[in-house]
Amino acid sequence: MIRLYHLTKTYGDLPALSDVSLHVAKGEFCYVTGPSGAGKTTLLRLIYGAIRPTAGKLLVGGVDVARLPRRRLPALRRNMGIVFQDFKLIPRRTVAENVGLALEVIGTPRELIQRRVAAVLGIVGLRGRGGEYPPTLSGGEQQRVAVARAIVNDPSIVLADEPTGNLDGAMAIEVMEILQAINLRGTTVLVATHDAALMKRFPYRVVRFEHGRKVSDG
Amino acid sequence: MKGTTAHILRRAARSLWENLYLNAVATGVIAAALLLMGVYLSVQYNVDRIVRTWNQDVHLSVYFKPDTPEDERFALRDRLAADPRVAAVRYVSEAEAATWLAEHVPDTAPVLAELGDDVLPASIEVTLAPPAADMDAAIASFAEEIRSPVVDSVDFGQQWTERFHAFLSLLKLLGAVLGTLILVAALFLVMNTVHLIVYNRRDELETERLVGATGAFIAVPFIVEGVVHGTLGGGLAAGGLWLVHRLVASRLQEAFGLALAGQLAFLPGSWLLLLSLAGVVLGVGAALVSVQRFLAQAP
Ligand SMILES: Nc1ncnc2c1ncn2[C@@H]1O[C@H](COP(=O)(O)OP(=O)(O)OP(=O)(O)O)[C@@H](O)[C@H]1O
Ligand SMILES: [Mg+2]
Repeated sequence: MIRLYHLTKTYGDLPALSDVSLHVAKGEFCYVTGPSGAGKTTLLRLIYGAIRPTAGKLLVGGVDVARLPRRRLPALRRNMGIVFQDFKLIPRRTVAENVGLALEVIGTPRELIQRRVAAVLGIVGLRGRGGEYPPTLSGGEQQRVAVARAIVNDPSIVLADEPTGNLDGAMAIEVMEILQAINLRGTTVLVATHDAALMKRFPYRVVRFEHGRKVSDG
Repeated sequence: MKGTTAHILRRAARSLWENLYLNAVATGVIAAALLLMGVYLSVQYNVDRIVRTWNQDVHLSVYFKPDTPEDERFALRDRLAADPRVAAVRYVSEAEAATWLAEHVPDTAPVLAELGDDVLPASIEVTLAPPAADMDAAIASFAEEIRSPVVDSVDFGQQWTERFHAFLSLLKLLGAVLGTLILVAALFLVMNTVHLIVYNRRDELETERLVGATGAFIAVPFIVEGVVHGTLGGGLAAGGLWLVHRLVASRLQEAFGLALAGQLAFLPGSWLLLLSLAGVVLGVGAALVSVQRFLAQAP
């Protein structure tokens, strides 16, 4: 599903990722871990086409993302659910509108959006909170809104950047269970995290990065 | 399709509302630019109109040499009267000319009395029918035809018309330069205001982009906003132009009396429509350029 061949991304002279090769199969659950600045976010940003690799090849679902014209990016992202490290919620939109955005951009009728959003908010434990605005929510609640938006469109790939970073133990486990459930339905899930306890509790393949290099895989 | 249109309008309305201040600025800038353009067009339009009415009433004065016998004078008058290009002729004798001058410029009366009745030449005052095409050339050739041994000179204000036309073309050139400057300045201001509106919303637009919004999805509300800016700006400019027109007309009336004020015309509806259309083009153009600029660097 996701294939990296000798992928390198440099900012100026500084490499954020160096010569990374990695295959994630369809339906696989995979952690990307490593210390701060290891290149986890950079890797995810490359996969959803926000940045272009400096060298190497990158295929997502058979599509050459590195050479994808900008106008084809929307089609790529509509197949993905992304939980951003900084959430990227729109402060002036309600929780329901934020979650529904992923459906709104593909022209889903309003009634259908409302139904889907209500269901997904229930899944992440925010039932009935759709009318509130993100700035009035706690960090953990905002994170769960971000997770809800990532799964609302039934994507074939979920990319989650520190999806439990702001959550306490019980809440973190709940979010992991949601990702696990989605994975069980056949969705490929890639989670960037440095929460060792969580990786122990939900044991899957772990790919470890340090200073932009892949140092272990398995 | 109905759902899509409603959705676009809802998003546009929301964007307008959330950026009310900048949207008002964009509308105001377009209105001001169109108002200036409108004033410029009004001046051109009215100058052209007034010149045209003057031209429709062309006078020639044919002055006789002092010793021309009366029958030759009348013969020329009759010949001119029969010419299809001539609307009216009037013979003015030396005595009538002197009386006219004495009446209209009283200071000259004593001098005229001393010099005698025939100090001013007799003339035929000719009013030409409005010529079809090139008026200046038509008058010049007509004046040339009249010249004969009994005619001292033919006066049709040639120097004056030439100078006036030179002045008019200078005025037009100045107007065109000024108009272009206004247009460029307006373009620049509108572009920057709309760019600021897009910039203000860049976080939100980036998020939309990241969850799979197409360029069209992002651009369409801004295009609707551009239409709103242009239409409102055009309407405001038309209203402002009307006020300016009323004000100038009443001032002119005070200064010059009814004659000139009555001639001052408001721009025809089709011109106003064109002006509003220019506003819409300006608004939509600025929106397209700004969104394009955003999309070119969006993640
Ligand atoms: N836009 C950028 N410009 C310059 N350098 C950048 C940029 N983005 C990331 N970097 C650098 O690339 C390296 C990897 O950053 P990245 O955000 O991928 O790390 P990370 O593994 O996600 O860290 P964290 O766990 O703190 O989120 C860092 O050294 C960072 O400073
Ligand atoms: Mg990161």
